[in-house]
Amino acid sequence: MDIEPSDLIVGLLMAGLGLIGLILASGAMDNEMYVFGFSLFGFACVFEFGLLRRHFDRLEANRHG
Amino acid sequence: MANPAYNEAVVKKFVIASVFWAIVAFLVGVYLAAELAWPQFNLGLSFLNFGRLRPVHTSAGIFAFGGSALIGTSFYVVQRTCRARLFGGEALANFVFWGYQFFIVMAALSYVMGFSKSQEYAEPAWHIDVWLTIVWVAYAVIFVGTLMKREEPHIYVANWFYLAFILTIAVLHVGNNLVIPISVYSANGYSVASGVQNAMIQWWYGHNAVGFFLTAGFLGMMYYFIPKAANRPIYSYRLSVVHFWSLIFLYIWAGPHHLHWTALPDWTQTLGMAFSVMLWMPSWGGMINGLMTLSGAWDKLRTDPGLRFSVTAVGFYGMSTFEGPVMSIRDVNALAHYTDWVIGHVHSGTLGWVAFISFGALYYLVPVLWQRAGLYSTRLASWHYWIATLGIVFYISSMWVAGIMQGLMWRAYDAFGFLQYSFAESVVAVHPYYVIRLIGGLMFLSGGLIMVYNLIQTVRSPVTEQPFAPPAALAVAGE
Repeated sequence: MDIEPSDLIVGLLMAGLGLIGLILASGAMDNEMYVFGFSLFGFACVFEFGLLRRHFDRLEANRHG
Repeated sequence: MANPAYNEAVVKKFVIASVFWAIVAFLVGVYLAAELAWPQFNLGLSFLNFGRLRPVHTSAGIFAFGGSALIGTSFYVVQRTCRARLFGGEALANFVFWGYQFFIVMAALSYVMGFSKSQEYAEPAWHIDVWLTIVWVAYAVIFVGTLMKREEPHIYVANWFYLAFILTIAVLHVGNNLVIPISVYSANGYSVASGVQNAMIQWWYGHNAVGFFLTAGFLGMMYYFIPKAANRPIYSYRLSVVHFWSLIFLYIWAGPHHLHWTALPDWTQTLGMAFSVMLWMPSWGGMINGLMTLSGAWDKLRTDPGLRFSVTAVGFYGMSTFEGPVMSIRDVNALAHYTDWVIGHVHSGTLGWVAFISFGALYYLVPVLWQRAGLYSTRLASWHYWIATLGIVFYISSMWVAGIMQGLMWRAYDAFGFLQYSFAESVVAVHPYYVIRLIGGLMFLSGGLIMVYNLIQTVRSPVTEQPFAPPAALAVAGE
């Protein structure tokens, strides 16, 4: 599959950051860190879905273009 | 039809975000002005307290509205003037956009939850600062990468200002936010510097946030959008280069003027004051350069309200960069410091300069990005201009009067050497001016809402412009 390097690098970066978010939420000592950790995880998930969608949109456009 | 040579999608996103956050910032500002006039407006709810909402207002204004406008226009300008698509692909640009919005939302949420480092304009807790650092590095990579792959031999002066903004804010942000957290799982931590060193680092950051975020970045905007809207080259390119280097060199030393009459060593206060007064020269050099660019095109102010915003912004830039050095003089500062004069000064800069130059850029950009022949209504843009200008006049003149009155009341002694007025008496005395300030803020917000309606209708209007054709030759502003 033809993956753009920037998609791959940013995707891996976001996966790592999302994982850090989960770890922060799991051990959070205050509400702020709990909210931030889970929000970071959620943000990373949504961003990854966006990367996937744009990747397949591009493939589809190339097939029909 | 979008321009295929450039990544305009991310610029559009930043434009939308900038307009959205502008309204949020103005709305929260108006609410805070109402709270100051009538404290009952906090409704007894902790998250509506002035102390928690104030950083929401400043962060929404500076970082959300201003920052989105700056990053968006810098992406637009660097691509156009370098004739190169953004470096790093679509994914990295999207990361910068969404990552920056995530930073804003997280910071605002933390303020209303009661978390703050209690350092002005640097309130977010350490983990939010780390997140912003990651996003900012990605932003710098995109901008510098695009400059490096440019197809124009020359780097247009607007990019110099944007680059100074990006690099210096990175250094300031990291330097001022060095914190040792009590635990990696806690939002709380201790600053590595304490006492007067902490204050000095904070105002090295704070003043240069004004200098490099609210000035250098927006000067980049001025150097691109005024020549484009006026269809004239910059009055003096040489003056713009002198403006750049002198401003960059002088600004970074001016921070100590925020700490006059404190435990900070006297020589440091004097240094800050001297450099602040010297800053007057490059500031006015830049103002003259911006205004004189209109030579032979002043008639456009009658027909182009966007350009009118930009040029008025340059006027406010000149006014507030004259007022700032005056206020930095130690004896003037003895009267002005801690009074509402400072608030008036800040708002003549942020509303008059920052917001107006951004409005000018937005009115220019929206029809271009969405391929429309022009704005939905220039009459509405004119209404926005006059309502907002009048709002600023109400705001800053009321704060001048309130501030100078406060300063004079606090220093007044009676014949026996006692203070003539209690602090509470000065609070009562400024109440009418707080109400006038609220009216000014409401007018500015109303103007902003008119702009939102006008821009939405512009986007909803049919596509009328010809499909994009690559530029055949070098035109205004390095394109």
